[in-house]
Amino acid sequence: MLLDFDKLGAWKWLLVGTTVLVCLFLLLPIVFIAALSFGSSRWLIFPPPSWTTRWYGELFSDSRWLTSALTSLQIASVVTVLSVVIGFLAALGLNRGSFAGKELLRALFLTPMILPVVVLAVALYAFFLQIGLAGTTPGFIIAHLLIALPFSIISIGSALDGFDKSIEDAAILCGASPWEARLRVTVPAISHGLFGAAVFSFLASWDEVVLAIFMASPTLQTLPVKIWSTLRQDLTPVIAAASTLLILFTIVLMVIAALVRKGRKS
Amino acid sequence: MAILATAGRDNGRRRTLQKRKSGFSFAVPALLLIILFFVTPVLGLLLRSVTEPELGLQNYAELIGSGTYMRIFANTFLVAGVVTALSVVIGYPVAWALVVMPRYWSQVVFAIIILSMWTNLLARTYAWMVLLQRTGVINKTLMGLGLIDTPLTLVNNLVGVTIGMTYIMLPFVILPLVGVIRSIDPAILRAGALCGANRLQCFTHILLPLSLPGVAAGALMVFVMALGYYVTPALLGGTANMMLAEMIAQFVQSLVNWGMGGAAAFVLLVVTLLLYAVLLRFFGASRIG
Repeated sequence: MLLDFDKLGAWKWLLVGTTVLVCLFLLLPIVFIAALSFGSSRWLIFPPPSWTTRWYGELFSDSRWLTSALTSLQIASVVTVLSVVIGFLAALGLNRGSFAGKELLRALFLTPMILPVVVLAVALYAFFLQIGLAGTTPGFIIAHLLIALPFSIISIGSALDGFDKSIEDAAILCGASPWEARLRVTVPAISHGLFGAAVFSFLASWDEVVLAIFMASPTLQTLPVKIWSTLRQDLTPVIAAASTLLILFTIVLMVIAALVRKGRKS
Repeated sequence: MAILATAGRDNGRRRTLQKRKSGFSFAVPALLLIILFFVTPVLGLLLRSVTEPELGLQNYAELIGSGTYMRIFANTFLVAGVVTALSVVIGYPVAWALVVMPRYWSQVVFAIIILSMWTNLLARTYAWMVLLQRTGVINKTLMGLGLIDTPLTLVNNLVGVTIGMTYIMLPFVILPLVGVIRSIDPAILRAGALCGANRLQCFTHILLPLSLPGVAAGALMVFVMALGYYVTPALLGGTANMMLAEMIAQFVQSLVNWGMGGAAAFVLLVVTLLLYAVLLRFFGASRIG
């Protein structure tokens, strides 16, 4: 009765009403930011007196925004590749291996995901200051790799769970070397898991703020760090323009991910 | 001869298959990374909390002894608690609706939830900073409706932090709850109705109790996440209303006091791990993912 939409009675309107309100609440900042980025008021008056693309012009004419976006892209790309490769190997070991302490190892690998990021950030910052990696690109990559890796291990692990290992064994019995079998039989079969791992790893690095604040130096800033430091000074509409572009980028990624998922089903 | 040779080769391949059993070596790269850049730095930080400025627990004593720090702890737990409660109360009906709604509409709602979840955290927080300011849209709308006479202070205080964090946490409550409610057999509710229970009784005696483990697990997870949150409280809370994560960052960045920073980080670490242990102990690993 309560789980049948047509028999909910008055409860139906309570549920639908809450859901509509929550959807509006969730959409409000996103739509608002996009509208604001075209508003002419520097003081973010809403609704704006007139419309303009001036803030996008300011965004693109300031090379620091572009540089930080490229830095983000570069770091996120390296993190994605490393995370998928190391995550694939780790998932193979965790899913198929039979060694003592396997579950403990799995828990250890996933811990960076559940730990408050600020603890990891402060600890890594201290460590990197001592070994000379603070404010360097490798330091940045290592920090983001730590939080991207759990996503890879989970995504690839669940794909491996759904793959019948005897197919790989059959390839080996037919004369393939173990690595040949893994790369030419298993990898194509779990490609959706690898793709998921890549998307999550990329976003984990691309959107990451807290580690980035601690890893950044005046000459090495990712996009979130640039937004953060600008935000701390004032609420300029240029940030609205940058945010709108980021939101568009997210939507594009979401659509691609959805299309890949759809393609796999059909 | 030929047959023997083939048999020998087959045995060799079977041995290859058996040899791969252990599989530990695959995990070595990840293990090295974690030990070198996760375990070592975290232990190093904890070590500094009991050795700087001198050996002993004085940093922890100072954390507990000072009213300022205790107020920050209280703020943190208060905000995390309120955010958790709001997220569950608002999120439960939405999760429920998602289970029973016509498929097309539920997909639209799912898309909105995922979009908000994937939107850059700073972009969302920036939006709330602008929306909630004194001359912001929220205040203007409320004044326009005649609900208030003077603008409310919604930002640079814990109200702003609570609104901003509830916004972020809602999807983390809704999505797991959908799975929990979906797994409940509608036949049990029909049976309840056949036995004469009205809708309210069905809810309080069947649906709610059956979904309670999922609610508790989701609530605990959101609470833990909220405890350690840094960005949103720092931007929406202002300096006067610091939360724990901000305090840790301040100790390290502004005050360069690694002893106190390490101690505060250790407290947050222990509380987080304890709550996760509770989560795993009572609700099992399957519910969390």
